[in-house]
Amino acid sequence: MRHQVSLAIGPVSFRVGSAWPGPVRALAELYGDYPKPEGDVCDFTVRLEPEKPWRRWLRPSVAISGDYMLPDAMPLSLALGLLAAEMGMNLQMALGQKRFLLLHAATAEKEGRAVILTGESGAGKSTLSALLGERGWRLMGDEFALLDLDSGDLHPFPRAVSLKNGAIKVMEAEASADRFGPVMEGTPKGTIRHLKPRADAVARMEEPARPALILFPRFGGERAIRGVGASEVFVRLTQASTNYVALGSRGFDALTGLVARCPALAIDYPDTETALTLVEELWADLPQ
Amino acid sequence: MSDGPDQDKGALANPNRRMVLALGAAAASTVVTIRPALAQTAGSVLNCEIPVPGPQAGGNHIAADGTLVAPGTPGSYAPAPRPLTGEEVKVMLRGGGAPPGIDSESAQAYANYIRRLQSGMSGFTCYASLQMPR
Amino acid sequence: MSGAIYMADDAGAVRSVELDGLVALFHAPSGMTHIVAPPAPQILEALGQGPGDARAILSRIADLYEIEEDAGTEAIEARLDELEAVGLVRRA
Repeated sequence: MRHQVSLAIGPVSFRVGSAWPGPVRALAELYGDYPKPEGDVCDFTVRLEPEKPWRRWLRPSVAISGDYMLPDAMPLSLALGLLAAEMGMNLQMALGQKRFLLLHAATAEKEGRAVILTGESGAGKSTLSALLGERGWRLMGDEFALLDLDSGDLHPFPRAVSLKNGAIKVMEAEASADRFGPVMEGTPKGTIRHLKPRADAVARMEEPARPALILFPRFGGERAIRGVGASEVFVRLTQASTNYVALGSRGFDALTGLVARCPALAIDYPDTETALTLVEELWADLPQ
Repeated sequence: MSDGPDQDKGALANPNRRMVLALGAAAASTVVTIRPALAQTAGSVLNCEIPVPGPQAGGNHIAADGTLVAPGTPGSYAPAPRPLTGEEVKVMLRGGGAPPGIDSESAQAYANYIRRLQSGMSGFTCYASLQMPR
Repeated sequence: MSGAIYMADDAGAVRSVELDGLVALFHAPSGMTHIVAPPAPQILEALGQGPGDARAILSRIADLYEIEEDAGTEAIEARLDELEAVGLVRRA
């Protein structure tokens, strides 16, 4: 394709090709501080193509394609090309990842151990993990948790954090202006702005961590903590995984191992500061 | 290799001790099968849309019950002016109201059309991703 | 008169992990994962000794567990139907 960029994010590499220069330029800028993938071969390819040939110039419309594709995907306007590229990478991971069990979850590390934040979209795990990343934790990822099928470790996948609507203001108060991507309005999910992970999170993106705590965070409501039984955690995590079924017995072993090893709690909180305090308290309570 | 609790032993109580076991009511259900969550999770990472009707409809209109009928059939509705997004369909199927630019009677017919979508038809993956139970 | 005789796959075909009172099972021949609640895992354990009908299964379970004195086979039969529906047991 006319315009291309290659990215390494944790253990996964992508080549993103585009019919237009804009999305590739925006990606290169957002991931400028990341190491380049070694060699020529990338794990996944994403292609941003005109929805129809004439849509390359006329009301440009970006169709997301690549090694793995979903029919019925909605094309996006060129102004949202960066978003299309990020969605394309998400799609490759969701459909094609076989080396790791993928969980739709945010992860953050401290002292070699990691907390997993999982739950429904919109529950606030992305923002909470980004905040932890600014408060002494290493952000490993806000969207996908990668569970090593052999070792049971979590591997970082520190993509640019996708902040939506209200979360944008919250993080603009925490992080310097040079860490943000462009503001994208009018997306299917409202306004989106990307936040680059901190320099140390990028520098340490090859460093795995041992999972130690699973949390189901829920924004809104009085501060509350509830235990979640292991079988319930297991079922919820199979539903938060895009590749559990495809991985067969290795997926079963990895996930039962994770669930048997890690305590799991559901936490409710009325605001983010309460959430952060809760996470720190529960972390401190873990056996050493 | 990761360790969980013993996987070679049957996952059951120590057979040397007789533990109490309630056999339970016949009507109870004791097996839950894990269903693939792919469509749901991938659907949430990539927005989708559903054309109503799909391109294979060949200009047909939509009856109130969602089936395809010849244009001009009394009580039928013209195709939707634009594909409906996953978000709009989710709201509509919950009874939450017609998407912008679409009147409520047409919306009902479109909702019934979508409920009848089968694998292989345009928009099915999007519809399936909205339906997967959590 | 005995009822239908059921059998389960060999122990090697199923990986099982106890989680919080329930059992997660991976059934290799189908690639499917099930969560089963008692007495289903005990029924599978009983069939691990070889095929049997509901009465035989009840008897094997009674050897290992304390069950209600006058337990009939209805509960066992209902569980066998469920397990058969998901492919964890079949008629011999």
